[in-house]
Amino acid sequence: MLTPHRVAITAAGVASPLGIGLDATLRALREGRDCVSLVTGFDTSRTRSKTAGQIDAAQLGESVSRRDQRLHPASRMMIAAARELSEADPGFEPELTVIGTTSGGMSFGEAYYRSLTGKSRPSNRARWLANYLPQKPLLDAQQACGFFSPGQIIANACASGTNSIGHAFSLIRAGKQRRVLCGGYDAISELVFVGFDSLQASTAEKIRPFDKNRTGLVLGEGAALLALEEWESARQRGAGILGEVTGYGISTDNHHLTQPHPSGIGPLQAMQRALDSAGRKPAEVDYINAHGTATAFNDSTEGTAIAQLFGDRAVPVSSTKSMMGHSLGAAGSIEAVFSLLALRHQFLPPNINYTEADPQWAIDIVANESRPARVKCVLSNSFGFGGTNASILLELPDEI
Amino acid sequence: MSARIAGIGWVTPLGADLETVWSRLMTGDIAESKTLINPESGRIHPYFPVPPKLVDSLARNPRLRRSSAISYFSVAAGLAALENAGLAVTPQTAERTAVVFAISDGGVQYTRRFYEQIVKQGANCASPLLFPETVYNAPASHLSAQLGLNGASYTLAGDGSVGMSALHFGAQLLDTLDIDQCLVVGAEECDWVLCEAYRDWRFAKTPLAEGAAAVVLNRTGRLSIKTHPGIPFFRQARAVDALGKVVADLVKNSGPIEYVVRSANGTFIDQAELEVLNQFGADIGGFSPKAQLGEAPGASALIQTVGAAMALEKQMARSALVSVVGFNQQAGGALLTV
Repeated sequence: MLTPHRVAITAAGVASPLGIGLDATLRALREGRDCVSLVTGFDTSRTRSKTAGQIDAAQLGESVSRRDQRLHPASRMMIAAARELSEADPGFEPELTVIGTTSGGMSFGEAYYRSLTGKSRPSNRARWLANYLPQKPLLDAQQACGFFSPGQIIANACASGTNSIGHAFSLIRAGKQRRVLCGGYDAISELVFVGFDSLQASTAEKIRPFDKNRTGLVLGEGAALLALEEWESARQRGAGILGEVTGYGISTDNHHLTQPHPSGIGPLQAMQRALDSAGRKPAEVDYINAHGTATAFNDSTEGTAIAQLFGDRAVPVSSTKSMMGHSLGAAGSIEAVFSLLALRHQFLPPNINYTEADPQWAIDIVANESRPARVKCVLSNSFGFGGTNASILLELPDEI
Repeated sequence: MSARIAGIGWVTPLGADLETVWSRLMTGDIAESKTLINPESGRIHPYFPVPPKLVDSLARNPRLRRSSAISYFSVAAGLAALENAGLAVTPQTAERTAVVFAISDGGVQYTRRFYEQIVKQGANCASPLLFPETVYNAPASHLSAQLGLNGASYTLAGDGSVGMSALHFGAQLLDTLDIDQCLVVGAEECDWVLCEAYRDWRFAKTPLAEGAAAVVLNRTGRLSIKTHPGIPFFRQARAVDALGKVVADLVKNSGPIEYVVRSANGTFIDQAELEVLNQFGADIGGFSPKAQLGEAPGASALIQTVGAAMALEKQMARSALVSVVGFNQQAGGALLTV
């Protein structure tokens, strides 16, 4: 068997409620800033949940052109993330782009539907349709940065953002591609917000992942992109290397469309497979960026799986969704960027709003405040509807 | 990227049996058109539905009892392709089978109904039974559950070229994962709001259609398939260049194109395909299935692929090109050989 190729991360870009860009994001993570606020985009008078992690449109406007202001917010987030990445590594020319999302430009689809039921026929209906489809933010970001590579859009629910990195990693590692742009995006929409509310998965309170008193998730939004490149290729062109992707695991749990198997078998298999593919043992993991949605089912199964895999060793765990909510198809990619920042700056991002340990498991929650720590190896989890589970392993190699 | 085709299946407005649909396509049958009505405006839209009797038997499956039509079509096509491949799914094969699902508009019936409840009755009246079926990967999840597949499962979204992306993705999985086969499925269902959208977007030159198609990829199957990752185009006028590059890449080091299954649907796509294919031979035989089956964006490219496989199995040619131009994302294609 051929020796697997190493996979370098040469650049990243991010737009999330925590900030636009890596520097702003790092500050917010270190502070443990609560970036959840009252929803402004639509009426929440008849939903239980009223809050979400939202990107300040004005802040986003600074990084996109006047023409781009007409695009869907998802496109503008993607453009902001893509510009940051391409400015950080102008020599990166992707051969393939793999992006995760769950809902594309859904709010434009909502506007279109409302226009069909109303008396007027707004002139921007064609624009809504053209910008509604999930491929459009990808094309807009590619066009903004002069990228011209084939695109693959993974829609594996909330695991999409991790799947996109994992698939890109697998292709480079197997020597099938040298440079792949990967990541994910999702923007808040009324339909999805009400959907989680109807399932009683979202909360009217603070989001408290892994807390005994957790009551559900709040939604978030954002986009994140990573430039992955075969290690030697990156070295030869003199690209800076921020970190390394070393493992990827995927599993499917057929228990139920919206609920994981209570045994935690799906998350357990995904984490184990990520470690196996990296040739790592659980003892070598310094931090887990958990899926941690704060729903009763997710945290129960994920906590159980972590406790099973790591045994008595209290590996530090946090869900950064506590600060910005659950950004669905973007979550895995945004959290990969958070994990990369943890590796680069040697700290553990916090799990805020944490009040009381859940006695179901003995895991070391990074409660409420970030911690300085030696971080060389991070496991990042994403699990989604449809029983899709994905984990990736990110590392800080000694030679960088 | 290369792989082998071990099995094929489809569920179309002309039927679900491989031989019957092929025979009807070759004799020029056009699917029976029905209409969907926008209840708000009364505007009528023609479309090509899948006859309900073709998927009736699946309604007894408990996992599918509340699912949308798109999941029924997907499961039916997937089962047909696995049977065609002679592949029985056991716990051992389940571990070694991946699923790649192509979707364009998704579960649009439930999505429209769910949002309709929000708009007309209020958010507090929106049904939790509908929302899960609006998620893009719901059909893939039902398919995996029905077949007991627990390995890698991916849903890809995109324009009408997404079926080609899914085939390429499936070939990538065969190259990078320790699996034996990959079931690639594409599906589409119709709703009046979708018909409105395509008409407003000026792409409804061919009626929209329902359906699904599935291809089992492995390393030892009876036909060879060379897949292409696709070429994006940012303006319709650039579709010719994108498709031209795709076809040139696919036929490099191959003989002349003997047969082509086109994606022509009465839009700018027809001219793009005509210009490109003329460069490779003005009199290439083949057909354009959307003229008879309608436009089912999530399924069409895989229906074309099954059509190309049938042409080879009927010894109409030794190689067949599948040519695909999507509405607003990319051009794609595949080359099948005996």
